[in-house]
Amino acid sequence: MTVEYVDAGEAINHSALSSMARIAPAVTNDIDSERLLKARSESQNWLTYYGAYDGQRYSLLDQINAGNVSKLSPAWIFQAGQSGQMAATSTYAFEACPLVVDGVMYVTGWDGWFWALDAVTGKELWRYKHAVPFDVSLCCSNVNRGCAVAKGKVFFVTPNAQLLALDATNGDVVWQKTIGDVRAGESASIAPTVIKDTLITGSAGGEFGVRGHIDCWDLETGEQRWRTYTVPKPGEPGSETWPDDGEAWQRGGGNHWVTGTYDPELNLYYAGTGNPAPDFDGGVREGDNLYTDSVVAMDVDTGEIKWHYQFTPHDLWDYDSTMEMTLFERDGKKLLGHFDKNGYFFVLDRTNGELQHVTPFVDRIDWGVITRDGKVTPRKYPDKEGEPVHFYPGPAGAKEWTHAAYSQKTELFYVPVADVGATATRRRREFKEGIPYWGAGVQVDIDNMAGSVSAFDTYGEEKWRWRIDYPMAASVLATAGDLVFAGTPTGEFVALDARTGEKLWEFQCGSGHHSSPSTYSVDGKQYVVVPVGWGGWLEGIVPGLLGQGHGSAVIAFALPD
Amino acid sequence: MTIAEEHITEERSELLARLGLDGQNKASMGRVLATGSIAEATERADGTMEATIRIKEDEVCWEPAILVLPHGGDLELTVINDDKNTHACLLPSNGDQKFLWLVNHSRGKATIRLDGPGYYWYSSPGGNDEGRGLTAAIVVQGEVPPEARLDRPTQPRS
Repeated sequence: MTVEYVDAGEAINHSALSSMARIAPAVTNDIDSERLLKARSESQNWLTYYGAYDGQRYSLLDQINAGNVSKLSPAWIFQAGQSGQMAATSTYAFEACPLVVDGVMYVTGWDGWFWALDAVTGKELWRYKHAVPFDVSLCCSNVNRGCAVAKGKVFFVTPNAQLLALDATNGDVVWQKTIGDVRAGESASIAPTVIKDTLITGSAGGEFGVRGHIDCWDLETGEQRWRTYTVPKPGEPGSETWPDDGEAWQRGGGNHWVTGTYDPELNLYYAGTGNPAPDFDGGVREGDNLYTDSVVAMDVDTGEIKWHYQFTPHDLWDYDSTMEMTLFERDGKKLLGHFDKNGYFFVLDRTNGELQHVTPFVDRIDWGVITRDGKVTPRKYPDKEGEPVHFYPGPAGAKEWTHAAYSQKTELFYVPVADVGATATRRRREFKEGIPYWGAGVQVDIDNMAGSVSAFDTYGEEKWRWRIDYPMAASVLATAGDLVFAGTPTGEFVALDARTGEKLWEFQCGSGHHSSPSTYSVDGKQYVVVPVGWGGWLEGIVPGLLGQGHGSAVIAFALPD
Repeated sequence: MTIAEEHITEERSELLARLGLDGQNKASMGRVLATGSIAEATERADGTMEATIRIKEDEVCWEPAILVLPHGGDLELTVINDDKNTHACLLPSNGDQKFLWLVNHSRGKATIRLDGPGYYWYSSPGGNDEGRGLTAAIVVQGEVPPEARLDRPTQPRS
């Protein structure tokens, strides 16, 4: 006798088995290029990755200030959780900067996850979870740095190199584009930037020997406007800095995996580029290897590189230059400040790339010397097969991708500093798509390390230093309340006096910090929010804390009513 | 959809059987991950795909253990629980995971969308199924669209 099956029905969305609202107010409908140009003046919101196009990570909010920050306490905690599949359980982390628009917060996580939260209560409004293959090559780790908002939509990238535009009210997909080749080892982790009626993204995958590129997309349709490769083909400008009889340019790296900054008057997008590939074996890529480890100033309308400055020519230490290019002015001059992984603070004229001066910002630098006028002399690098070479800073650099802040009030830069060395032993290997292409074995020191939040004036003179025992691995935030907020690898979220560096407040968040805090206000009440979740490329940054608990939460703080 | 034994060498198959790693509660407590049958989804004229996955009685694993799709896109799954215990199914899909309760001897449907290429895990997240006993894979074949590929000559792959 045949027994009929019980009808199990149709599979439902997993989120249907939750209490979330599934709808958010339409707060991004009126966000256009005009509002984004004046993002800092909307101090109640955090509209772009850095809070404003200039990359300063500086807020005009001052309700929470040096006089009352000692009373700061948690307002809410959002537990991001984990369920089902995760592309890499050991390396996921929060690296995002939350955006906030009129009381709605947008946060991205690992594995292609996206949440819209009520910024006052932390309640989940909607979620989007992209399915990411378990075997996608991730460079580096299972992370995402955030989103962009405009015209009723939110935009973000996924680890398997998809760019998505979601309806900001419910998370439904409006359009989707494949922006990289996962079989070639490409992935994506950048927070996109909305400029005018376009969206700018960059690729990840430098450790896999890809050819880096920066892309521009139509905001409404997702159609590609332009693509600019950061490693030139033979015959293109810069190609003379690669071997002319080899294949090195095809695998050269130079990826743009951290959001750039933008000067609307000059119509230039300042993109940082990553290390050349292979990271440590320079013998297969003789030359300066443009435009790796550089800032490229690009015409936003065409993608043309107008000028460039290379921070580490012929990099042999994995010193990407992807981190922020902070725009500021001094004596009426348009300048760009950049704290590079190589341990030096560069100030350039951002109209033409002319170097103003260079100064070290970490105690131990022995890979090489850069003089104040920019002359680079390498000293220690892995050039002999099988011979270990120890150098400072290690491949995570004196500051990894995490961001400095610049206060317009104090005219100081605040920098999360990592002071740790590493040993690299050159081991040449053949290139294959999708396989890491380092050219060395690398061990980062697990003791004898230090870190700090350090304050520098615009000439590179250190003004104060708040020391910790571990390399800093999270971005800092500066506010008009004369405060600098920073998270430590051991879980403390601290507020420092922006003028003296004195620690005024701390809260143990239960997991290490590896992301970017932001601040906002709703109905006149200021909040500071920080995603907490230890993980990511820790073996390069703080291997001595690889065994810390992971966690994954977004925590908002406010003063008592 | 045709289900075939895993494409492995006879040596490996024999070794798994001899060591008791090819079934439930022999040398190990469960079948070793990614051993078991493989099936290819059927592609319809409009490009959507269809397949059936099931849990056989007392085997605490999905059949097929590996479902192969020729490319990314929409997949209509028939999901059958032939077991005398309750299970569930939590499947990867773009936008949100898809969830289906599967009481004893039940049959349901799931429509999922995957980008590919790559392989995706799915599982039964019910309390009695925790652990990896009911974990299986959907493999998406193919390349990314031509416009997303790098402008460079063809490179070696391993």
